[in-house]
Amino acid sequence: MNAPLPRLVRSELRWVFRRPRTIIALALLSGLPVAIGVGVVLSGGPRGEDGQSLIAQVAGNGLVLPIAALSSALFLLLPLVVSMSAADALAGESAHGTLRGLLLAPLGRVRLVAVKSLGVLAVAVAAVTLIVAVGVSTGLLIVGNGGHGVLTLSGTSLPVLPALWRVALAAVWTVVQLSAIGAVALAVSSVTEHPLVVLAVTVGGLIMIGVLSVIPALDWLHPVLLPTGWIAITDVLRDPVPWDGLLSSSYRAACYLLIGLSLTVARMVTRDA
Amino acid sequence: MTSTASEPGVAGAAVPATPAVTAGTAGTAGTVGTAGTAVTAGTAGTALAAGTAVRARGLRKVFGRRRRTVAVDGIDLDVPAGAVLGVLGPNGSGKTTMIRMLLGLCRPTAGEVELLGSRIPQDAGDVLPRVGALVEGPGFHPFLSGRENLLRCAAFEPLVPTSRMSSIVDDALARVGLTDAARRAYRGYSLGMKQRLGLAAALLVPRDLVVLDEPTNGLDPAGTRDVRRIIAELRDAGSTVLVSSHLLSEVEATCTHVAVLQAGAVVAQGALASMLEGDQPVLEVITSDADLALATLRAAGVPARPCRGGVEAELLVTTAPAVIATLVRAGVSVFEARRRRTGLEELFAALTEEGAA
Repeated sequence: MNAPLPRLVRSELRWVFRRPRTIIALALLSGLPVAIGVGVVLSGGPRGEDGQSLIAQVAGNGLVLPIAALSSALFLLLPLVVSMSAADALAGESAHGTLRGLLLAPLGRVRLVAVKSLGVLAVAVAAVTLIVAVGVSTGLLIVGNGGHGVLTLSGTSLPVLPALWRVALAAVWTVVQLSAIGAVALAVSSVTEHPLVVLAVTVGGLIMIGVLSVIPALDWLHPVLLPTGWIAITDVLRDPVPWDGLLSSSYRAACYLLIGLSLTVARMVTRDA
Repeated sequence: MTSTASEPGVAGAAVPATPAVTAGTAGTAGTVGTAGTAVTAGTAGTALAAGTAVRARGLRKVFGRRRRTVAVDGIDLDVPAGAVLGVLGPNGSGKTTMIRMLLGLCRPTAGEVELLGSRIPQDAGDVLPRVGALVEGPGFHPFLSGRENLLRCAAFEPLVPTSRMSSIVDDALARVGLTDAARRAYRGYSLGMKQRLGLAAALLVPRDLVVLDEPTNGLDPAGTRDVRRIIAELRDAGSTVLVSSHLLSEVEATCTHVAVLQAGAVVAQGALASMLEGDQPVLEVITSDADLALATLRAAGVPARPCRGGVEAELLVTTAPAVIATLVRAGVSVFEARRRRTGLEELFAALTEEGAA
C-alpha cells in the first residue's frame, strides 16, 4: 500500500523550494553571472589575446557568459548548493525527527531514497537553469554579442540558435556532474543525523581532490577523481564539438551516481530511525 | 509484596468504579468491565474480532558494538485488540526503544513482532497505514506552518485520498484544537502546541492501532485532559491504543491494560483491574464499633487490624460476604465496606524497586 508517487514528489518539491535556505542560495547563485558580466564590461573589452580563460572570452561575446558562469560555479558553489540540499534531505529530516514520520506513514525505504534523490536533482536543475537564464540575459543585454551568435574557441563564429544549443549542452552536462555530487552527498547524508557533516565531507572532499590533482606523483589517481574531467565544459565552445572529454566525464559522473545511490539505498534499508 | 496497612487507598480514588463488595468475591472482583478483550471492529475496514493487536516475542535490542548496551532484553508483549495498554516504566527502561521496534523504525537484535497480524518489519508497508504513531516527541519542520506540516504528512499517508487531503488536515487540526494556530509557523509553537500537532499527525485517518509515546509531555492540565479524551474516543471507536508514560496517574486514568518495564524487561503485564488487586486482597469496613469488629474477626480466624474509621480484614482465607455476615451477626454496625485497591503507584514502586535492589 503506497501513496501515489506524483503526490509524494510534488510534496517533496514543495518542501524543498519553500525552504528559506534553498531560496536564498538560488538567489545568490543567480547573482554570479551578473557579477561576471558587469566585471567584464567594467574592465573594458577584450584584454590581451591569450584568451584561454573562459571569462576573458566573455568580452564582446555575451553567449559565453552562461558557460563561463557555470564553469566557475561548478568547482565550489554549485556542489555547495547541491550538498546542502542533500544534507537536508536525509540528515536534516533525521535531525528534526521527521524521518520517523515519513517511515511510519509508511514510505518504503527505497521509495524514500527515490523521492529524496528527485528533490536533490530538482535543486541541481533549478540552480543550473537559473545560472543559464540569468547568464544568457545578462550576456545579451549587458555584454552584447556584436551582432553574431558566438565566437568559438576554434575561431569560427556560430549563429545565435546553435550557440544557444551549445549553452543547453553545457547545462545538461553540468546537471549530470552535479547529480554525481548529489548522490555522494546523499550517501553521506544517510549515515549521519548532522547536516553539517554532509557539507563538510562533500566540500572538504572537493578541496582535498583539488589538492591531490595538482600533485604529479599522484597522476595515477586522477582518472578516478570526478573534477578531473570538469575542464571539458569548455569543449562546447569548440567547433566542431570534441565529444570524448564531455562523454568520458559524464561516464565518470554516472559511476559516481551509481555508487552514491547504491550506498544510500543500502544504508537506508537498515537504518534505525 | 507488602501492603501498607495504614494507607486507605488514596490513589485508588482515581480508579473508575470501585466495585461494591457484594458484587465481588475474591476471585472475580478484578474483571470490572475494563477487561477490554470484548471490544471488536477495526475502524479502517478491518475487523479484528477479539484478536491480538500487538504481539512481540523475545524482543531484544543491543546498541553499540564495543560498549554493548542492552536497551531491551527479551520482551514478550500481548495487546488484545481494543485494549488501551499503558506502558509504564522509569526513564531509560526501554519504553521508546520497544515502541520503535514494534513500529519497524529500528530492527530488533533478536525476536519478532506482529502488528495487527502482519510481521514487522517485513510487512510494515501493509500494516503501517492503519497505524498512527507519535514517537519520541513531535517532529516537524520549523519553517512551515502547522497546516503545511500536516499537509506534508497527509501527502505521504497511503489512506488519505488526494482529493480530500486539505479537508482531512483541517479536521485533524480542529480535533486537537489548533485551528487558530494552523497558519502560524511551527517555529513559534509552544511545547503543548507541538505535542498537539504530533497527535493530529498520528490521527489523520481512522486507525486500528494508535501508538503514543509520552503524549502528555509538556502539556498543561487542559492539554492532558484533551489527550485523555482523545484516547477515550479512540477506545470507543474500537481502536487499540498503546500509550507509554512514566506518570502513573496517566496510566491509571486512561488504560485498560498495563505493562511495566524495568531495565529493558517487562516485569508485570496484565489487565489494569487485576494488577490493581495486588496479591493481598483487603476488605475495608467502616464502622463505629471498631473494637468489637476486631474482636469478632479475630475470633472467627480472619486476620484483621484497625484502620482509619474502622477495620481492615484480609481476604486470604475467607470472602467478603462471609466477613460482612460475621460482623453483622455479631451486632457490629457496618456503614460501608469496600475492597481496597492497591494504588498503581504502590505497585509500580514495588515492582521497580524490587529490581533495583
